[in-house]
Amino acid sequence: MNFGVIRALVAKDFTLFFRNRFYALITILGIITYLVIYFVMPSLVNEELEIGLYAPIIPPVFELIQQEEGLEFHEYNSDQNLRQAITDRVHEAGVVLPEDIMEQLASGQTPPVTLYFSIDAPDEIKDIVETMVKEMAYLQTGQFLAIDISAEILGPDLLGDQIPIRDRMRLMLVIMLIMFEMMGLASLISEEVEQGTIRALLVTPMSVRDLFTAKLIMGASLAFIQGALFMTIVGGLNIQPSIILIGLLLGSIMFTGTGFLIASLAKDMLTSMGWGITAILIYAIPAFGVMFPGTVTDWARFIPTYYLTNIIHQVSNLNAGWSEIWLDLLILMVFNILLVWGGIMAIGRKLR
Amino acid sequence: MVEQAIIADKLTYSYNNLLAVDHISFHVAKGEILGFLGPNGAGKTTSVKMLTGQLKPKDGKAILLGLDVAENIERVQSEIGVCFEETNLYQRMSAVENLNLFARLFNVKSFNAYSLLARVGLSGREKDRVENYSKGMKQRLMVARSLVSKPQILFLDEPTAGLDPTSSEAIRNIILEERKRGATIFLTTHDMMEADKLSDRVAFMNQGKILALDKPLNLKQKYGKRALKAKVASNKGSLEIREINLDTPQTAEEIQKLFHNEKVVTIHSEEATLEDIFIKITGRGLTE
Repeated sequence: MNFGVIRALVAKDFTLFFRNRFYALITILGIITYLVIYFVMPSLVNEELEIGLYAPIIPPVFELIQQEEGLEFHEYNSDQNLRQAITDRVHEAGVVLPEDIMEQLASGQTPPVTLYFSIDAPDEIKDIVETMVKEMAYLQTGQFLAIDISAEILGPDLLGDQIPIRDRMRLMLVIMLIMFEMMGLASLISEEVEQGTIRALLVTPMSVRDLFTAKLIMGASLAFIQGALFMTIVGGLNIQPSIILIGLLLGSIMFTGTGFLIASLAKDMLTSMGWGITAILIYAIPAFGVMFPGTVTDWARFIPTYYLTNIIHQVSNLNAGWSEIWLDLLILMVFNILLVWGGIMAIGRKLR
Repeated sequence: MVEQAIIADKLTYSYNNLLAVDHISFHVAKGEILGFLGPNGAGKTTSVKMLTGQLKPKDGKAILLGLDVAENIERVQSEIGVCFEETNLYQRMSAVENLNLFARLFNVKSFNAYSLLARVGLSGREKDRVENYSKGMKQRLMVARSLVSKPQILFLDEPTAGLDPTSSEAIRNIILEERKRGATIFLTTHDMMEADKLSDRVAFMNQGKILALDKPLNLKQKYGKRALKAKVASNKGSLEIREINLDTPQTAEEIQKLFHNEKVVTIHSEEATLEDIFIKITGRGLTE
């Protein structure tokens, strides 16, 4: 391998990349835009559930329930006012207790309790409020369920330590940022083929291995530098920076390999972008799963970015260490080898 | 014994079932200019690709400077310069940046891009981006790029195609200068006049085969005819043309008769052009 040749090729590629106004602009604006998006997103999660309450007589047990973490009751002086507040989405849920609730409970009757929910209240909120009302009835009458309920929290208990939406989004932003470089690289390679400059390179003493090494270094370093810069600014490297950086580096190599594949399919900048956007849409799916838990099922494990996403999410958001993510790193490496090797083969075939 | 710079030994290449180059053999001596002529699709570019290591022959061998190209590709490529027909420069880089890049790829230690650019007439525009150059300027830069490593063998593919007379002449002068330096030049061209003027020998290629290879003069003598063309004044006052073949035993007698019996107004000799010979050998023109 000739390092002088590789250095010259990398310098040439950086020059050409930043002299393409579109990609230069996308690179600079991309990082600024994503930083702005990150910092305008809320940094805290409000874990208090505010519930509207209309109750002419408030049972003593409500005092107990209010002391529980995360519940806050706002009293209203009429059913009508409470309905209006819920309609106006001041609260997501409201509870109406009958005036004679204490008597009914004491006589063993079933008092009617009305619950109001705003139109967009999630199912979890409905479940919480219903459970709370049942619990209140049990506490008030002294008749507990004849079963022993035990609850276990699987995974890290995030009570009081929820992940703010912007930190969930951070993952998506960093992956989108470095994925755009994949399109830039693909465009650069297809431009070399289209304009015939690759033929001029191939009649010099430079080896094809030097050529691909240079492209790999250029693509991966451009993506990695941007990703690392972004993560540094948004505090993504505060926990286990070495794992995050290794993850980003592997991710950058993976996107470079994908860039090679795209370049082998594309004929010019436009088709590079077309294929690139298709790849980005697929690669972004695992990051959506982190932003919106429960939306992505197990099939996402077939997408290489699943492992990159998992590494960054587990480490930066859930404080995971080497022991938790080593397998993801290994699988990501295997995907890298396959993508880079496949990409080089595909471009080699195109050149022949 | 003459040292050979290029030896093609039964070179063959096919694209799927299409035989593009069919067992061609020839050699080019060191310091010689070989004009490689043929219509589009004749197999010229494929031959050049095999000689420069861009394609691996399906059969036969290409030997440059005594080295088998397929086995010593990097060593061979460090001794050759290639100027392509299509412009394949880095458009968003300047002329100096283009040349410096290739100097580094060829590992040229002390390289002065400015003096090379001055040689091809691009002084004053060295730092302009190539995208702002005219076609002639780009072509001159292409020639300059092929000279970066002072190659022992220079492959030039249509170096003057579509250029104005001044640019064409500048490039022809560079070719002659390079020959004077000792470089061997493999010149692929459609321009028969250019080939005739510059080449020591020319090869005619058609449908993957070399049909003739010799000095232009020998080809003309072998395949063409020499004649005298005279314009004579007729009795009616108009001009008539008389043609006398110069290669027959009766030539001297016919010339004497012409001057004795006719009123000769103008007279000039005429010899076959390479194009005439090409058509005679291949049965088709270069532009077909």
